[in-house]
Amino acid sequence: MALSNGSCMKATPRDSYVIVGVDTGGTFTDFVVLEGDRVRIHKTASTPDDPSRAVLTGLVELLGEPALAEAKVIHGSTVATNALLERKGARVALVTTAGFEDVIEIGRQARHDIYDLAVTKPDPLVPRELRFGVRERLDERGRVLTPLDPSAEGDTLAALEAAIASGVESVAICLLHSYANPEHERVVVDMLQSVAGAEGSFITASCDVLPEFREYERTSTTAVNAYVGPVMSRYLGALGERLDPGRVRIMASNGGAVSLAAASTGAVQTILSGPAGGAVGGFEIGRRAGTEQVITFDMGGTSTDVSLCAGGLTRTSEAEIGGLPIRVPVIDIHTVGAGGGSIASRDPGGSLRVGPESAGAHPGPICYGHGGSAVTVTDANLYLGRLSPEHFLGGTSQLDTTGVETAITTLAAELGLTAIELAEGVVRVANATMERAIRVISLERGHDPRDFSLVCFGGAGGLHAVDLSRSLGIPRVIVPEGAGTLSALGMLMAEPIRDFSRTLMLRTDGLDPQQLENAFESLEALGRAELIAEEFPEASLRFERVADLRYVGQGYEIGVPVSPEDTGLSAEMRNTVTGFADRLSSAFHEAHEHRYGYADERRATEIVTIRVRVIAAMQKPRIEPRPLGEPDAGAATIGPHTFVHRGESHAGELIDRDALRPGHAFQGPAVVVEYSTTTLVPPGTSCRVDEWGNLILEPA
Amino acid sequence: MTSTKWDPITLEVFRNLFYSVAEEMGVTLCRTSFSPNIKERRDYSCAIFDARGRMVAQGEHMPVHLGSMPKSVEAAIDAVTLEPGDVVMVNDPFRGGTHLPDITLVEAVFLDDATEPAFYVANRAHHSDVGGMTPGSMPLATSIYQEGIRIPPVRLVRRGVVVRDILDLVLANVRTPVEREGDITAQIASNRTGARRLLGLVERYGVQVVSEYMGHLQDYAERMTREAIRRIPDGEYRFEDAMDDDGQGHGPLPLVVTITVEDDEARIDFTGTCPQAAGSVNANYAITLSATMYCFRVIVPFAIPSNWGTIQPLDVVAPEGTLVNACAPAAMAGGNVETSQRIVDVVLGALSQALPDQIPAASYGTMSNLSIGGLDPRTGAEFAYYETTAGGMGARPYADGLDATHCHMTNSLNTPIEALEHAYPYRVNRYAIRRGSGGAGRFRGGDGIERELELLGESRVTILGDRRVTRPYGLSGGEPGAVGSNSIEYPDGSEEALSGKVSMDVPAGSIIKIHTPGGGGHGRA
Repeated sequence: MALSNGSCMKATPRDSYVIVGVDTGGTFTDFVVLEGDRVRIHKTASTPDDPSRAVLTGLVELLGEPALAEAKVIHGSTVATNALLERKGARVALVTTAGFEDVIEIGRQARHDIYDLAVTKPDPLVPRELRFGVRERLDERGRVLTPLDPSAEGDTLAALEAAIASGVESVAICLLHSYANPEHERVVVDMLQSVAGAEGSFITASCDVLPEFREYERTSTTAVNAYVGPVMSRYLGALGERLDPGRVRIMASNGGAVSLAAASTGAVQTILSGPAGGAVGGFEIGRRAGTEQVITFDMGGTSTDVSLCAGGLTRTSEAEIGGLPIRVPVIDIHTVGAGGGSIASRDPGGSLRVGPESAGAHPGPICYGHGGSAVTVTDANLYLGRLSPEHFLGGTSQLDTTGVETAITTLAAELGLTAIELAEGVVRVANATMERAIRVISLERGHDPRDFSLVCFGGAGGLHAVDLSRSLGIPRVIVPEGAGTLSALGMLMAEPIRDFSRTLMLRTDGLDPQQLENAFESLEALGRAELIAEEFPEASLRFERVADLRYVGQGYEIGVPVSPEDTGLSAEMRNTVTGFADRLSSAFHEAHEHRYGYADERRATEIVTIRVRVIAAMQKPRIEPRPLGEPDAGAATIGPHTFVHRGESHAGELIDRDALRPGHAFQGPAVVVEYSTTTLVPPGTSCRVDEWGNLILEPA
Repeated sequence: MTSTKWDPITLEVFRNLFYSVAEEMGVTLCRTSFSPNIKERRDYSCAIFDARGRMVAQGEHMPVHLGSMPKSVEAAIDAVTLEPGDVVMVNDPFRGGTHLPDITLVEAVFLDDATEPAFYVANRAHHSDVGGMTPGSMPLATSIYQEGIRIPPVRLVRRGVVVRDILDLVLANVRTPVEREGDITAQIASNRTGARRLLGLVERYGVQVVSEYMGHLQDYAERMTREAIRRIPDGEYRFEDAMDDDGQGHGPLPLVVTITVEDDEARIDFTGTCPQAAGSVNANYAITLSATMYCFRVIVPFAIPSNWGTIQPLDVVAPEGTLVNACAPAAMAGGNVETSQRIVDVVLGALSQALPDQIPAASYGTMSNLSIGGLDPRTGAEFAYYETTAGGMGARPYADGLDATHCHMTNSLNTPIEALEHAYPYRVNRYAIRRGSGGAGRFRGGDGIERELELLGESRVTILGDRRVTRPYGLSGGEPGAVGSNSIEYPDGSEEALSGKVSMDVPAGSIIKIHTPGGGGHGRA
């Protein structure tokens, strides 16, 4: 099945070739094509057993077989994510410091739910019998305490050889304090060369993936890379056979796009590939609409992803996927278990619960008529008249309204509510969960939601966005055109970005700027070499430096931007050591004050980790605005439509999104329908279409 | 119970809102603090309280603070008439605290020009050192006076300004004053965050609605707990277990509980438990209440707020002068961390008779508290370190126990080795799962941990551990878990076994070895 939607955005002709953003989703694989001056949207059914089939099918449908090798593709892949979540990755062996083989299994000793006697913890990615200790030891400064003697490691090598013979195809290496000195890990890599069968193995050393302190998190990140790497390599290899490998890039979790080679060796970087596309797309939409203060809100069937952009994407190095910490930088996306399919129920204390249980895609909400019997958020929206049965998913499916009514009435009676009260309650409770998620990424991080716009996408978001924005004081909601394919659009916008980091542990008092400069330069050199190897001209490269600082003795850091002028000027600079350290410290005090409400300027500060981001400047596809026309949206009105909001029934209008044009404006109550989503415009809300085709919803 | 009308939807909305306030307080505290206990191990709790000082919501931090935080707030309100901008500090176990390292800060939240507080916010954090006879302030003491500085409820902040006299007095009595001041500052900031967020809720919903729903949520938690108790067959359930000793040569120390369940209420009576001990393993009533609350909290099959309502259906009887309700001037350091775990063991043991399909065998039952202090040879500065080590979880009636995981009253994280070696003059030589230490059974008890720490400088080492003699029990025919052990290897290579509770000066180059107990098994193998 393939659905194509004709031109809806205009782009300027510039590149002779075609750029395609491809986002593999659970149900559909989305394509956004920029072709000369045209932007096209395309969807094809996903093929979960081998996602590359849908990617190639869709590309052929769009471009034709002959043009395949010419196509420039940026691909959001769920291959690494799914391999990890479904535990279908490679068989991995781990080489670590002797005496510490269990670090990966012990984790941090904590349990994730303190009141659940049935609590579980994820199995380690490397089973005990495949963890091998080598005799070596570094101290916290990287000085060698016990040298690693390869000739004394015969037993380890024999064991590795046996492991490889028995099907291990990937080896992770993580030694204590290797962030401070990678030499011993390099020795292990060399040792592996002498192991029979190892030449075909996938090898990951922690000093390459994440040279940062905290052994469990580093080991976990390294092991995840080793675990998903071979799967990702095979997948990308298959894609590379049909497409020009030099023209395909993979969306990385940090919001950038990486080469096939980088995505293979550093597969852990792609673990949040799809959601990252959504965040990049949401930010770009906001930027076009004139704001860089954006909260992205992606509400799907089982969960909701939110992220915050304050002048740029927010990254974190504290992600956790499937219960395993992953410390490479990823876009800071907070996920909660509330979506359209979340199930409502009464608990024994008489409270209304919504989620985290979800009806999923099968059986799905009651209204889908696939055998679902539990009231979901989607059912509640339908009951309240906020969905139009004739237009839901383009009217292709018949919605079971009677089944919904019966189930809602029954649950309402259990809770002593009217059916309407219950249905509105289900929506409010789901909103409360999503509100908590937005509070986490905004208020908890020192941002006031009142300064932001909410960019809403995903199938279910448009029904909740306005109410949610009101409870948080967010003044404006933006529903982009093609909200259902925003992630794919984001991929089109993704620049080649590489992140590098290294733990230094340097106090700022008595700091030698030259030492810091050297450390930054060595990271930049890594990035320069990699991107130049990918044929990006040196002149196109841009470097961003960040130092993670904290008060000496704290356990968490705040990233402070460092400009090269601060460390780069040698002789002159050395005379102003204190000046530099003071600037760095005061930037940190300020950030600490902003985030936590206080700072203590008398306290010593230290640089824990330095980070370099290398960006290859790319001309982003610039999509031109369209002229604004008359406000009268009458031509887009399908007819009258009644829905319930805040306990009252409102007679409003049903509006066809595809017929809306830039400049159109109307007032709620209204419901805007389109193929992949529905937008609720409650009473007291104004809606206009801007020059990019976005719906802009604001209090009237 | 509150009588005003409520609806199940707004209730759920406020459950989320109150919880997120408590969680955000925790984020501020964790990220800005200095004690490894707080920043890496998250040994802290944050909670919000109504105008009467009754707990409304607590972040999911440390179970051992469940019932004892409210006691601190109660003590603060009794002792001090709080005015806007005032913060009360307390750690005295006999005036609202638990053990001295746990310092609690209570702030009243006022609306505009009101003279009475509308709410309270409080947080508690375990400080690495509060003075006393050994570094880390978890000594083998015989009286509270040896354990550190004792702070009754006093104003630390008056009208928004830190009372320097009080703070200086406290700092003069601890080994690492700079770190202490940092932690206390983080605690003040955490409460401020909570107060600000509560006022934000009032702005949005009005004080009446916010206050009413605080009451409704307490009622709700009470209903949920009653419902869970109703599912326990009526009857009397008795269980007995023991602590090894008190560190002063007396032991074993029996703990006895009799639980009487009638409809939706339970009486938990510790009569029969031994008298308070000479050594530092005494618990006060707040700790006993916390541990008991925890046991009933885990049998509620839903995520409910932990608040004042949870405790209402429980009648906890702990005779004065016993190990579970000690009187001044008893030594208390280990009550919170050791005895609390044994209280859980006996309460769950009794409940297992009523709920055999739900209750696990005994977990490792000791936090194996290790405190070390001395001069850091790298810097010449004084250091004080404290950490607990997990063990094996008891097997469940339906699954093995987890290995090397903190259970029941604690959920702290370990300090990463790479962080530890930066911060302290140590080298970790081994960190492993103690294979085979879990009790055998149809379902196996979890295994404990082996940790070996080499001390690079001359140090004072104090270990406060238990389950070195008595084994964590199995259930339904499962074997008990293995006992733990402590030992030292001197620089000359000689090795010496240490008792569970020990305090000694050790030479540089010594290696301290801690092996933690496994969990009990469940069912015949």
